[in-house]
Amino acid sequence: MDPMEAIRQTYFQECDELLLAMEEGLIAMEDGEADGEVINAVFRAVHSIKGGGGAFGYEVLVGFAHVFETVLDHVRSGKLAPNGDVVKVLLRAGDVLSDHVTAARNGAGEVQDGDVKEELNALSGISPDGDDAAAAEMEGVVFTPIHVEIDDAPGPAPGTWRIRFAPHPGLYAKANEPFLLLRELGRLGSVEVRADLSGMPELAALDSDQAYLAWDIVLRGCNDRAKIDEVFEFVTDDCELDIREDVPLAALEIVTQTPSPAIQPADPTPAESPPTEKKTAGAPQAPAEAATKQTIRVDLDKVDRLVNLVGELVITQAMLTQRVMECGQARSSTIGAGLNELEHLLRELQESVMAIRTQPVKSVFQRMPRLVRELAAQTNKQVHLTLDGEATEVDKTVIERLGEPLTHMIRNAIDHGLETTEERLSAGKPAEGKVTLSAEHRGGRIVIEVTDDGRGIDRARVRAKAVEKGLISPSASLSDEETDNLIFLPGFSTANQVSNISGRGVGLDVVRRNIVDLGGRIVIGSVAGKGSRFSLTLPLTLAVLDGMVVAVGNQTFVLPLTHIIESLRPKESDIRPFGSNGRLLNVRGGYVPLVSVGDLLGVEDAAEDLAAGVVILVESEGVGRTAFAVDSIIGQRQVVIKSFESNFRHIEGIAAATILGDGRVALILDIDGLVARCREKSRSSEMQQAIGA
Amino acid sequence: MPSVSKIKAVVVDDQLTMRTLVRSCLQQIGILDVREYPSPQEALECLKVTPAHIILSDFNMPGMDGLEFLRTVRADPVLKSTGFVLLTGRADAELVKRAVQFGANNYLAKPFTVAVLKQKLEQVFGPLTP
Repeated sequence: MDPMEAIRQTYFQECDELLLAMEEGLIAMEDGEADGEVINAVFRAVHSIKGGGGAFGYEVLVGFAHVFETVLDHVRSGKLAPNGDVVKVLLRAGDVLSDHVTAARNGAGEVQDGDVKEELNALSGISPDGDDAAAAEMEGVVFTPIHVEIDDAPGPAPGTWRIRFAPHPGLYAKANEPFLLLRELGRLGSVEVRADLSGMPELAALDSDQAYLAWDIVLRGCNDRAKIDEVFEFVTDDCELDIREDVPLAALEIVTQTPSPAIQPADPTPAESPPTEKKTAGAPQAPAEAATKQTIRVDLDKVDRLVNLVGELVITQAMLTQRVMECGQARSSTIGAGLNELEHLLRELQESVMAIRTQPVKSVFQRMPRLVRELAAQTNKQVHLTLDGEATEVDKTVIERLGEPLTHMIRNAIDHGLETTEERLSAGKPAEGKVTLSAEHRGGRIVIEVTDDGRGIDRARVRAKAVEKGLISPSASLSDEETDNLIFLPGFSTANQVSNISGRGVGLDVVRRNIVDLGGRIVIGSVAGKGSRFSLTLPLTLAVLDGMVVAVGNQTFVLPLTHIIESLRPKESDIRPFGSNGRLLNVRGGYVPLVSVGDLLGVEDAAEDLAAGVVILVESEGVGRTAFAVDSIIGQRQVVIKSFESNFRHIEGIAAATILGDGRVALILDIDGLVARCREKSRSSEMQQAIGA
Repeated sequence: MPSVSKIKAVVVDDQLTMRTLVRSCLQQIGILDVREYPSPQEALECLKVTPAHIILSDFNMPGMDGLEFLRTVRADPVLKSTGFVLLTGRADAELVKRAVQFGANNYLAKPFTVAVLKQKLEQVFGPLTP
């Protein structure tokens, strides 16, 4: 890659970070929590974006950043109070700057910034061509560079000396005092003295007139060897002395030692010119976290290769263990113990490698405030967004695919959830609606919630709509929860008119599908008049899966543990025929459709008698519970997911594949897909029967 | 006439982009021994162990800014004679004036070209030969 292109990419990566920092700072300002350091950080972010942009010749971007920066400079110098209106303009300016960066990155696209730029100019009180004044001022400055000479002849050098001073035992007898010498050295520069006690004898053997100690001294800032020699002049015969220069570097010398005040201002600097640097100069360290946390950038491909290799290693280890057991070695044998240890270490290794791929959800969350601002403006609603748990970490792939569902849920909350300002006031609620976006780890999964304090789900209306669209029969009796879940059905939309906000062609059904694809679940809770809550539960990683391994005929399948409610051995009497060839299972008085996995997937030699096998009760999104009949359960384990699509093609009902300990490939079942598949099958067989009759 | 290949340079900027850019420009001039640090604090620590001929530092950094860094360098008995070029992003006469007061050897306004950087360095070191 062209080196300039590589730097450009770095620039845009850095821009993303800077834009996040800027946004964060601006939001703190909006909440009135900004101190000088926060405002400074925002200024610095914009300034750095401008600086880098200049280097690559993004003139439009630089022009806008400059105007933005000028206003921020006024804010940090106290010339401009960051009140609500000012911060609103700054927030919009931040959005525009972000658009500029995107446009520069894509090398195309014009950014509409006209009025924001003018508002910024109005705030800073400069005319659009005010820059020339600063440039002119610069011309009045004459800077006389100060010369530095590089003297590469070996000669007198400043710098560091390492001195080993080990007096002979008889040093004191000649009336010499080592401490005076050390003190003398201290006058030549800064010294670091370390006493070497290794020569000390046992107390009983100690002769108080003898010298036992030695010293290692580092002397800095002395450029005259002769002066050091002078210090030791009277003891050279009574000690081991080793003086070494520490700097192999060519010596430096400044010829002009005192800088001449070479500045000639064309006109006296304006008196109100703010001492802007003082604030940063005296400021304490930025948050300790930033100072101590060191990071490196690594190509994602490299990490993925590592993840894959560890995955292979886990499979190999499982195979090895199985082989060893087959050879008749006991778990308790030394080989068995070693394998056990290996398994532990591998699991730890796997977790550590997975942790490299995790990122805080912050990067997705930070995109939401802008969305909320835009939606609030479009819908004429007042919205306050609270972000919670931004530091929660989750796999990068999950993060990448989280953006769209979150955007949609927030849109939904503001467009459908929150009432208009008038409605809110007449309902006795504060005019400003609250939307909260939060993330937390719960039981090995990440839970993300979007909560609003709006009107809640109008169940009567949802029901009416579902009946009208033919999604449910008018006589269906549904629990509140089931009614709420109707909004996830394809083709469902309660908005009387499709607005350009929620109705962008993507329905909540697609959101749910995306979440389920990630191995997640989505749940709604709602209280009429009080608000609703959408909870997303997602796995922390997409590379491994906790699954239940089951046998069906000569095949082995893996069922994702997240979908399994329970497993049981059915009694002959609990299985009832239903319809033409359907079956129901009586589970403690309730009936659940019973499906044979063998029949469904066409596995040969699967057990015919379902009562002889095991039934696994699973829950699938939107449909409820289904009982899957398998021959037997082999065990529960963590499996490494191998994508099916990328190696073969998508098959309805199969999510992915994995390699088991015995080296065999097992398919991981997609529960929702399977349920959909068996519904279709029963429908078509009913049709066939109807035609045949 | 100083040989350019002997010059040891240190680049200090909190932005990776700018550090990489300055390094790349220095290398095009022929200065190959370039070390970079994201903060003055880290640079100071390392400079004390391995000195350099010239420091090229950004002004606008969190924690310690370029001027404070310059002042610290000048106050240090070992580092005080190291060359110092302040990179400024702003056409700010006040800043340049203060850089002079604190003893900067030269200043460089961003954005800059390789030619300008070379010129600024030659003002400090004299004509550079390969």
